Amino acid sequence: MTVNQNELLSALVDGELQGKELDDVLQLLNTNEQARRQLQRYQRTSDVLHDHGVSHHHIDLTDRISATLDDEVEFTTSSKNTAQIIAFPRQFWKQAASLAVAASIGALAVIGVMTQPQNQLVQVPQVASVEIETTPMIVATTGKRWTVEEQEVEERLNSYLVDHNEYAGASGVFSYARVVSYDMGQ
Amino acid sequence: MRKVLQFVLSFSAILLSFNAVANTEAMQMLERMGVVAKQLNYDGIFSYQTGNKLQSIRIIHRADDQGEVERLISLNGVAREVIRTNDMVTCIYPEGKAVQENHRPLGRGFPTDLLRRLSSAVAYYQISFGQQERVASHHTQEIVATPIDNYRYGYSLWVDKDNDLLLQSDLLDEMGNVLETFSFSSVEMGLDIPEQSLKPEMQGNAMSWDRTEYGLSAAKPVSTQQSLWQVTWLPEGFNLVTQQNRFKARNGASIEQQVYSDGLSSVSIFFEKIRARHSHLHGSSKMGAANAFGTIMNAHFITVVGEVPARTVDKMGNSIRFNGAE
Repeated sequence: MTVNQNELLSALVDGELQGKELDDVLQLLNTNEQARRQLQRYQRTSDVLHDHGVSHHHIDLTDRISATLDDEVEFTTSSKNTAQIIAFPRQFWKQAASLAVAASIGALAVIGVMTQPQNQLVQVPQVASVEIETTPMIVATTGKRWTVEEQEVEERLNSYLVDHNEYAGASGVFSYARVVSYDMGQ
Repeated sequence: MRKVLQFVLSFSAILLSFNAVANTEAMQMLERMGVVAKQLNYDGIFSYQTGNKLQSIRIIHRADDQGEVERLISLNGVAREVIRTNDMVTCIYPEGKAVQENHRPLGRGFPTDLLRRLSSAVAYYQISFGQQERVASHHTQEIVATPIDNYRYGYSLWVDKDNDLLLQSDLLDEMGNVLETFSFSSVEMGLDIPEQSLKPEMQGNAMSWDRTEYGLSAAKPVSTQQSLWQVTWLPEGFNLVTQQNRFKARNGASIEQQVYSDGLSSVSIFFEKIRARHSHLHGSSKMGAANAFGTIMNAHFITVVGEVPARTVDKMGNSIRFNGAE
């Protein structure tokens, strides 16, 4: 690797290359494994400098906890719910289960100990229940706009959404409704 | 006692067989719905609701020997149009970037294997008939698809009983809440649709066509090749259904798109080679019922997009591995 080649790779990461220089460095990357490794090093450095640390390269306990929680079976209800007059909210059970899982992987053992007696105390009273009809309702979502800060990111997501819509949905009738509804003016 | 037991068992068997027949009929209706959506001419107005946002959209769809042409026009808010032909999607935005044209190398969605895809969905959804209701003055039959796990959403689909066109679609979370709704308020079917109805209205002084920004699509298909990327976790029943490579019109970056589906829900993963320093999504984002997850790996922007829960795109995105040379 020459000094000039290193400079070209650095400029590529910074987005400063055009024309022949860009073609030259791409050719270099296609043929030179050392150049590809060097580019990755520059890219990582750039990511760190711009606060874009890549999550795959460090150990993050929250990722493991999150992944484990994702595998947990969630309590679900059918459209006809059996509502108990005295019952703890669903969120409580989810939190209790979440804390138990966290304890199981050793991350929050102290909290696990604290949680244990509480779990044992929780007893849903066996009381009379009534069957209620639940009416489906539109839940609050984020609306017709991606939840991102930068316009460049938003445009890329929109472009991907157009491509994805070829394969989206069960019917094909309404595939592009999200695209045409996109709230660009906000 | 023995006779009572025999009666109960027989009655249960009859109920089960009725249920199986109903499920089969619901599946058949779902299959017909998918075919009709591509073959029928229709012109109608539907609403798209997500959260507290409501959008009215006119849709004109024509199918003939030349293939499909479809035009969608937003009726409130900023005027926007999407025109879809056999090999091109044109998005017209009146402000800023006027026209975005995307070639579609592989054609319209899942063109040939719809029936097989729906058949494969049976294992991951409970498909059944729901209520009968009127939608846009048409008598419809509701088909309910309830997922087996929380990695995909459920559907309530109201299908015209006379010609099987989908007239209303609700996307449901695991609690049965509606995340978004598409619903026709009026629709005419089987009519002749003149060419003029499929041309964009926003031309001339109303807007400028910015073809240089996106060009007459510098996107060009490249041959499908073995991917260097591997998705090591997928929800049960999701399989790779298509993969395509192309070049981005604006900067020539190569993009690989992989589409995974369980038959009803689908997720696309985009691998875009970084050509210059750009910002990219890190973590999660959502728009309506669509969720996205983004990261950067091996000098590529990785983006997972789909109408599935956030946990699904996150988990798929975090399982991606690069198998090429370092």
